[in-house]
Amino acid sequence: MIKRVLRFAGVGIVLVLALGTVAQSQTQDRRVRELIVLTRPQSADPQEFETSRLVAPDFESLGLKVTVRVMPWEQMSDYVWYSRDKWDMTMWQMVGRPERSDPDEFAMNLFHSSTAAKGYNFVGFINPTYDRIAEAQRIKTDLKTRRQLIFEAQKIIARSAPYVFLVFPQSSYAYNNAVWDSSSIVEQRGIGLKNFWTFDAAKPKGSQKDMILNANDTVKAINPLFISGAADSWVTELIWDRLYRVGPDGLAKPWAAEKAEWLDSVTLDVTLRKGMKFHDGRPVTVEDVIYSFTAPAGDKVPMYKPFVTIIDKLEKRSDSVIRFTLKDPYAPFLTSTLAKVNIIPKHVWEPILANLAGKPENAESYQEATPIGSGPFKFVQWKKGEEIVLEANPDHFAAPKMRRWILRSVPNVEAVLGALRTGELNFLGFYGGDPQLLDRVARESGFLTVVSTMDVGMRFLAFNMRRPPFDDPVFRQALNMATNKKAVRSVVYKGYATVADSFVSPSLEFWYNPEVPRWEYNLAAAREALAKAGYEWDAQGRLLYPKGKVETLTGN
Amino acid sequence: MTRLSFVLSRLAQTVLVLWVVATLLFLIFRLMPGNPLVAYIDPTFTADMERALKRQFGLDQPLYVQYGVYLQNLVRGEFGRSFFSREPVSQVLGQVLPNTLALTFSALALAYIVGIFGGAVLAARRGTWVEGWGIPAVLATRAAPEFWVGMLALALFSFNLHWFPSTGATSPGSMYASWWAQVWSADFVRHLTLPAVTLALYLQGLPTLLMRSTMLEVMDEDFITFCRMRGLPERSILLRHAARNALLPVVTAFALGVGYAIGGNVIVETVFSWPGLGRALIRAVAAKDYPVAQAAFFFIAVVMIVMNFVADVLYSVLDPRVSHERR
Repeated sequence: MIKRVLRFAGVGIVLVLALGTVAQSQTQDRRVRELIVLTRPQSADPQEFETSRLVAPDFESLGLKVTVRVMPWEQMSDYVWYSRDKWDMTMWQMVGRPERSDPDEFAMNLFHSSTAAKGYNFVGFINPTYDRIAEAQRIKTDLKTRRQLIFEAQKIIARSAPYVFLVFPQSSYAYNNAVWDSSSIVEQRGIGLKNFWTFDAAKPKGSQKDMILNANDTVKAINPLFISGAADSWVTELIWDRLYRVGPDGLAKPWAAEKAEWLDSVTLDVTLRKGMKFHDGRPVTVEDVIYSFTAPAGDKVPMYKPFVTIIDKLEKRSDSVIRFTLKDPYAPFLTSTLAKVNIIPKHVWEPILANLAGKPENAESYQEATPIGSGPFKFVQWKKGEEIVLEANPDHFAAPKMRRWILRSVPNVEAVLGALRTGELNFLGFYGGDPQLLDRVARESGFLTVVSTMDVGMRFLAFNMRRPPFDDPVFRQALNMATNKKAVRSVVYKGYATVADSFVSPSLEFWYNPEVPRWEYNLAAAREALAKAGYEWDAQGRLLYPKGKVETLTGN
Repeated sequence: MTRLSFVLSRLAQTVLVLWVVATLLFLIFRLMPGNPLVAYIDPTFTADMERALKRQFGLDQPLYVQYGVYLQNLVRGEFGRSFFSREPVSQVLGQVLPNTLALTFSALALAYIVGIFGGAVLAARRGTWVEGWGIPAVLATRAAPEFWVGMLALALFSFNLHWFPSTGATSPGSMYASWWAQVWSADFVRHLTLPAVTLALYLQGLPTLLMRSTMLEVMDEDFITFCRMRGLPERSILLRHAARNALLPVVTAFALGVGYAIGGNVIVETVFSWPGLGRALIRAVAAKDYPVAQAAFFFIAVVMIVMNFVADVLYSVLDPRVSHERR
C-alpha cells in the first residue's frame, strides 16, 4: 500500500516536473532577449552617453534587460552601417547645416525604403504610403501643397516611431561686442550666429577690423569640388559664390542669380547677376556657370555628382540667362542644388580636369595654390594646422565690412574661453564645452554676447526594425512612452535644448508640424499598451512576447 | 669585431626592426574596428560614392595586395595620399614637422642645459639644503602631468598676465617670406616660449638626475683625488674634470631623448594649439587616415631607432673603454 502510494507520488512528481519544465521552457522561449543600446564614449560625447544611461533604467522598468554598450564613433558607425541586421538600438545625431533647412534631405534619405539597404535608412523603415508622400513632396513645386505633404510625413513617422526623437540641442556662439556692431550680427534659423550672413555683414566698431574665430578641427582642403569636413565648408562658402544661398530664414534666396523662374515643373530659367568677377579679374560668365554644373556630372567629382544628376540639360539662352531642364520635377532644387554647387572659373578648372582624365586621381585631390572664386572673400594664406586667412573682396556685390577673416585651429576648450577673454579671439566659431560655463564667462567679461539657437540637427535613439521586438510598432511606441525626454533636456542638456517629436526642427516654422502625435512620458501607459498587444510578464517580471511569438535572436 | 662590422651588424638589425614596425603598423590600423569610409557617412552618401572611395583608397583590394603595395611604396619612400585631405602624405607631415622640430629641440636644449648644470650643482652640494629642496623639486616637475602644467602656464602667463599668446605658433594673420624668417621672428619665439618651457620642465628630470648620479660616481674616482692633491681650486675640479667625465651618459641620453620627444608632444601641442606632428597624428588616427597615421608612426619609429643607433656608436666613440670586442 505504502509502496503504491510512493509509486503514484513518484510518477506525479516526475509529471509535475516535466510539465513545469515544458511551461518554463515555453515562457523562456517567449522571453525578450537582452537588448543593447550603442553609444559613443563619455569622453567623445558626454551628452549622448548620459542620455543612454538615463533612458536605459526606464526601459528596464518595462521588464526588459537593457545594456548600454560603449563604442568609439568609428566602430559604432561602422557596425550600424555595415552590419544592419546585428544591432538593436543606437544613439545617433544629425547635425544642422544650412541645406538641411529644407526638410527633403531628412524626409527622403532617413526614411524612404530605397535607402534601407545601403543608405541612411539604417533602421530599415519600410512604409509604401510614406514612400509615396516623400516622393510627392519632391515633385510639388507649389510650397503649400509641399508643406501639407511634409506635415503628413511627420505624422506617419511620429506614429510609426522608428526612432525615439530626443532633443534639438541649442548651439551657442558668441562674439566680442566691443569689436563687432551687434546689429550687424545675423542669427540664422536653426544654425545660429556662425553663418555666411554674419561673416558677410559683421561691421567692425573700431580699429580691430579682423574677425578672429576658432575651429576645433583643422581645415582639410579648400576645394570647391570636394566636401571634406565641417570647418572646410565655412571657408568654401566664403570664397565661392552660389546661384542661391539659404537665407537667415531658412529659405533659399537668389545670390549670384538675379532671379529664377520656373517655366514648367522641369524647366527653370536663371538670370545671372551682372558685373561679377573672379578673384583673378576675369568676369563670371554664363559659360562658367554651365561648366560648374556640368563638371560634377563626370566621374572626377564624386561628392557633388548626386546634386547634379537630376539635371537633364543646360542651355545658354543669352549672355545672362541659363536654362536648366530637369529629368523629373524636383521641388528642393533651389536649396539642394543651386544653393549647394559652387560657381567655379572654367578657365582654371577645365585644364585641371582635362589633365586628370585617365588617371586614378580625381578633382578632390587637387589643391589650388591660390584658390580662385568669385565670393565675398579672397584667399590669402593657409598655415596648415594653424590658421586660414581670407580678406574682403571689395569688388563683390555684397562686399564684407571686415578687413580679414582669420580661422584659428584651437583644440583646447579652456584655451578658447581664455582667448575670448583676452581678445585673442573675437568670435566664437565652435564651442564644445558646458553652455552654462560660457554664459558665466560672458557675464563676467562684460563684452561677450552669447546667443544660443535651436538647431536644425537632432539627437535620437534609433531602433533596428529588422530585429524583433522592434518590428512591432506597439513595442516601439511603448519605449517612446518610457523615455523621459524632459529629464534628458533638463539633466543632460541643462535646459539648452528643446524636446523633439519630429525630424523637422521647430526652428523651421514653415515646415514643422505642431500637431504631430507626441509620446508623453508615462510608464503605466507603456505597460498597458504592451499588455493590450498581448505582451506578458513572467514570474521574474521579465517581458514575454505575445503568445505564438518566440525569441529567435540572441543578445550579442 | 672591428668597429665597421659592429656598425654594419647594427645597421642590419635596424633594417629588420623597421620592417617589423612597418608590418605591425599596417596590421594595427586594419585590425582596429571601424573603417575609413565611415567618415563619409551622411544622408547624401550613395553606394556609388562608397565604391568610388573604396577604389580610390585601394580598399577594394585583398589585404595581402594592399600589404605588397604598401611595402613597395615604403621602400621608395612613398606614403601615398591622405584619405582625407587627398594631399601626398609627405606634404601633410612636411608642413607640420618643422614646427614640431622647433618645439622639440628648443625644449630639449633648455632641459639639457638646465639639467646638466643643475645636476652638477646638486652633486657638488650633496647633503646641503640645496639637495634637500632640489631633488624633490626636480621630481615634482618631472612627475606633474604636462596638460596640468600647461593649463597653469596658460592661465597665469597668458590669460592673467598677458605676457604670452595662448594659441598657435604665430599671431593671427602674420605673414612671413619663408619658414626660416618665421622661426627667427620675435613673434614665433613669444608663441614658442610657454609650450617649450612646459615641455622642458617635463624633460629636465632625466638629465638632472643622471648628471647628478654620474657626477657623484666620478667624484669618488682616483683622478679627482689626484686633482685635489695637486691643489686645484674646487670650482675647476668640478667643471673641468668631474663634469666633463660625467657628461658621457647624459650625451647618449640626449640622443635617445630626441627620439622620444618627437612623438611625445601630443599633449603639449594640444594644450597650446601648436600646429605640429602630434596633432596631425591624433587627427589621422581618429579619422582612420591610414596613410598619414602609418607614415607619422613610422617616422617616429625611424627617429627613435636611428637615435638609438647613434647613441650606441657615439658611446663607443666618446668612451674608448666601451669596446666592441667579443669576450
